[in-house]
Amino acid sequence: MSRVASWRAAVVLAALAALPALPFMSKYYLLLAFDALLFGAIAMSLDLLIGYTGLVSFGHAAFFGLGSYATAILLERGVLSFWACLGFAVVVVGLYALMVSYFSTARRGIYFALLTLVFAEVVFTFFRYTQTFGGSDGIQGVPPPQLVPGVTLDTPLANYYLVLVFLALAYLVCRTVVTSHFGKVLVAIRENEDRARFLGYNVQRYKMAVCMLSALLTGLGGAIYPGRSAFATPDLMLWTVSGEFIIMVMIGGLGTLAGPVIGGAFFIVLQEKVSSYVDWYFIVIGLVLIFIVLFMPKGLLGFRRLLGFKQWRATA
Amino acid sequence: MLRMAEVHAGYGATPILFGVSLEVRAGEAVALLGKNGMGKTTLMKTAMGFLKPWRGTIEFDGRDLTRLTPHQIARLGVGLVPENRRIFPGLTVRENLELGLSAVADRSAAVRRRRLEEVFHHFPRLSERIDQPGKTLSGGEQQMLAIARVMMAGAKIILMDEPTQGLAPAFIRHIRDMIGELKRLGVTVLLVEQNARMALSVCDRGYIMEKGLIVFEAVSSELRESPVIREKLGV
Repeated sequence: MSRVASWRAAVVLAALAALPALPFMSKYYLLLAFDALLFGAIAMSLDLLIGYTGLVSFGHAAFFGLGSYATAILLERGVLSFWACLGFAVVVVGLYALMVSYFSTARRGIYFALLTLVFAEVVFTFFRYTQTFGGSDGIQGVPPPQLVPGVTLDTPLANYYLVLVFLALAYLVCRTVVTSHFGKVLVAIRENEDRARFLGYNVQRYKMAVCMLSALLTGLGGAIYPGRSAFATPDLMLWTVSGEFIIMVMIGGLGTLAGPVIGGAFFIVLQEKVSSYVDWYFIVIGLVLIFIVLFMPKGLLGFRRLLGFKQWRATA
Repeated sequence: MLRMAEVHAGYGATPILFGVSLEVRAGEAVALLGKNGMGKTTLMKTAMGFLKPWRGTIEFDGRDLTRLTPHQIARLGVGLVPENRRIFPGLTVRENLELGLSAVADRSAAVRRRRLEEVFHHFPRLSERIDQPGKTLSGGEQQMLAIARVMMAGAKIILMDEPTQGLAPAFIRHIRDMIGELKRLGVTVLLVEQNARMALSVCDRGYIMEKGLIVFEAVSSELRESPVIREKLGV
């Protein structure tokens, strides 16, 4: 990681760590901030696929939902260890991601997108109609997990710092990936995968690896969600949720790490604020998206250029 | 080194190659000449594994290439410089070059630096552009980058598909000199070209391809004097 990027990230994280100290940060705003950072981190991990590798996944909600269910299932059965929940989520999401990425990366373009969508719909339908996991109601009212015996993550503040640590670690992982040789190969695949092949790269293996990584980060995000919401429902896996993840990436800026985090946070705050006034909030979000695509194709982060800030590199 | 025997290949149900046979021996530079649409690029794609031959054999250093994927073929030491200077435009010169190190197990900073120095010895102009995105280079510089990227990989044989297409005369001379330098370094070259004069001035032998078949083969000096070259290529 470059020194400038490290400093910039450290300053932003320090500011986010200090955020709860602000006088207006009520429980409501802490929960809103939790969602903003969580979905920002998920958008960032999705951008490894969309922005860096050129693979549009329409099934990321399934990874998120499976992670949530993994945690909720253990918590419901009295296994309260946060680390056990994370471990179980990694296994469940990892196995599912292995299958999805194996088959999906064998195809390009729209076929990849469709395969990820179809797999996700299968998982959604399974949980929607399986009463063992609560059917359409999902698993409700799960107890909060314990970081260590006696330390329960049961306050908005504790959950906020948990998601902040998750965001920081996810950023570190993503930053390490995109600045490595592996990350350059991903960009090469995005630009032209045949060229990457004749240079000696096993393109499908690289695509599978980045799919797995992106899925696991998203799944881990899902795994910490029930600690805040106390539920896991099939609706978390709906294709519209996958669409929202893509919108977050596009709002923030493709091919950047900070952009999708900003996009995710922007989306969540906009959705929350607009929906508190009107039911048809998605029309407003749709209009915002149309505006961004038409006039800010590089997203909110790219818009900085128009304001005279230093250009952010698409590959860093 | 590279031997193709009775290779038939095509796209879908459309045949393009009708039993092509050619051989490139170690250390040679061989020209594959022919007009547009005669199957030269298809032959390159077949050799690299992007197209599976319908019939025939392709061997490199005694290994059958017909069942291997493009990346496996590249890792055996077969480098491709594709037509139209196919670099990665969004990556810098350095990143483009380092992508050439796919087959190198040790990609430590020291190894990368040494390989870059070797390449910059041949292409000093690239060292001046090292942190520029590939898309900002001129056409000739992009071609240099495409060749340098294959050199980074330490390819044993380099297949070049019309490397001088659309380049200014100064760059064409540079490419010709570079092919001569590659020969001197012991790298084998199969050069697909329409610029027969340039190709025969640097290659040891030449093949002429017409309608998916090799129709003539000779050493360069003989080929240059042959009426066949005027008849088949119009030069």
